[in-house]
Amino acid sequence: MWQRLLLYGSRALIGIVFVIPIYWVLVIATGYHGAAYALPPVWIPLFHWEPLIYVLTHTHWSRYVLNSVFISAMTIILVVITSALAGYALAELRFPGNSLYFYAVLGVMMLPQQALLVPQYVVMYHLHLLNSYTGLIIPFGASTSGIFLFRQFFKKLPVSYREIARLEGVNTLRYIWGVAVPLARPAVATTVLLTFIASWNQFQWPLIMTNSASIQPIELALSHYMQAYQANWRELTSAALIALAPIVLVFALTQQHIVNAVAGGEMAQKE
Amino acid sequence: MSEPLRVQAIGSPQYDSKRLAMLTRWQETLVGYGLILPSLWVFLVFYYGPALFLLYIAFFHWNIFASHSTFVGLHNFVVLVHQPIFWQSLLNTAYYVVLVVPVTTLLALGLALLLREAARIRGGGIARAMVFLPHVTPVVATSIIWVWIFDPNFGLANTALRFLHLPQLQWLASVHWALPSVMIYTVWHSVGLYTILFLAGLSTIPRQVLEAAQMDGARGWFTFRRILWPLIGPITFFVVVLVSINTMQTFSQIYTLTGGPHGGAGGPAFSTTTDSLLIYQTAFLYLHFSLASAMSVILFLLILGLTLGQKLLADRFVFYR
Repeated sequence: MWQRLLLYGSRALIGIVFVIPIYWVLVIATGYHGAAYALPPVWIPLFHWEPLIYVLTHTHWSRYVLNSVFISAMTIILVVITSALAGYALAELRFPGNSLYFYAVLGVMMLPQQALLVPQYVVMYHLHLLNSYTGLIIPFGASTSGIFLFRQFFKKLPVSYREIARLEGVNTLRYIWGVAVPLARPAVATTVLLTFIASWNQFQWPLIMTNSASIQPIELALSHYMQAYQANWRELTSAALIALAPIVLVFALTQQHIVNAVAGGEMAQKE
Repeated sequence: MSEPLRVQAIGSPQYDSKRLAMLTRWQETLVGYGLILPSLWVFLVFYYGPALFLLYIAFFHWNIFASHSTFVGLHNFVVLVHQPIFWQSLLNTAYYVVLVVPVTTLLALGLALLLREAARIRGGGIARAMVFLPHVTPVVATSIIWVWIFDPNFGLANTALRFLHLPQLQWLASVHWALPSVMIYTVWHSVGLYTILFLAGLSTIPRQVLEAAQMDGARGWFTFRRILWPLIGPITFFVVVLVSINTMQTFSQIYTLTGGPHGGAGGPAFSTTTDSLLIYQTAFLYLHFSLASAMSVILFLLILGLTLGQKLLADRFVFYR
């Protein structure tokens, strides 16, 4: 009995320790002015939304939010399309180079991102993609984990479906979008969620590839804001809350799915 | 329109099945290439292409704005090893990796053992989700609150130390504590991911094995050391490799916690200048692309070497697979 209680207690405590910093963003953002300087610290959020609403309506923040929404949405659409197509080719079609491409995709995962930034910048420069939405979207338009995920799902589809489609004269693209993808709905959901998180949290790439304020996504804007509003904690945390809220909300609604997908996805890479 | 014709053709005598098979085989190849083309293009242009180009820049005296370049061999590397800041960055990275990898791995394992049965109990999944939540949060947004937590006067960290009657620290403002502060943030932000991986590994162990051990009187540490540990050897190796690769490339939190857009990142007194940060500053602040590329090549080799070294160690010490 006591052991049981101890186990529950420690679990609750651990959960709280990990969430406290995120909770504190809310406390300071919606607290009274100067709550960040209170000793002992304030614990309870007051839900004063005025600073947040002010930030959204009177500054460029709505623009940054829209930038992030647009970039994330476009990336998600591209990733789902390219992953479904390549995943289908790898799972269902026999062509010379099939397994070579499988290892090529695996190889992309192995490339250390930090070591590639300099040449990637040069490539972007020569393609005239610096400081453009395209440059923030296209390089992330194909996802290694997305391809593997769709491949796994398509492999489980019965061969007879494809045979019937072929005899009925349905072409491959129509079969993929009309039959295979709708049947792989969990893979679509996982890809959309993981791509959204990665894309919304994007920071280093826009930091390097953009220099005009009008196209910068929210995380980059936030880092500039951090510099300009040093120690204005209520304004800073209000802005941080805008960046955090969609992620926390999406995670809260889909945590079961995301956690399982991450566990399964990483395990699949290990095989 | 040609598709229905082909279906009719199966029955007609002039098309034997072998010929049809050849045709579809040929089509299948063509369709296959068409389907992988979009993602292949992205990987070639933005990943494999730059990886090759990296070598080119590193061995040339090269400038993004000049049209010509000259081959200089190892010159960039020679310049690099004469820069004290380069060695400082390697040292900082080593310090960072050597502390973060074991702490993260052990903490993740401990959390996983604690949360192991959680999925089956009501509310248990919530604890798992709460541990994982920091990993999906945007780094800059959560860095803001951690800068406040590390504030020497009003921050939560010093409040906690005061409560425990421990000496208070300067955290990010101190040469000795700035990098450990970043480590604390990194562990907080990433340990959830590895906990989930350990949980996935633990869930593959059949219940019967543990029940049988319990019947035979195995308890606590013995169960862990003799049964769980050998069984999760492979996943532990995988986690250690993943943590190492990720920590060697830490950038965003160092950038935001220690400085910002105006070049202050990496301080105080270069105590948080790691390899990734130095590559960024060399290339995009001082525009020495060739030097930065030489550093990138070295980082590339270090990551490769570390992974291979761990693989060798694992082959020797991880028995069960």
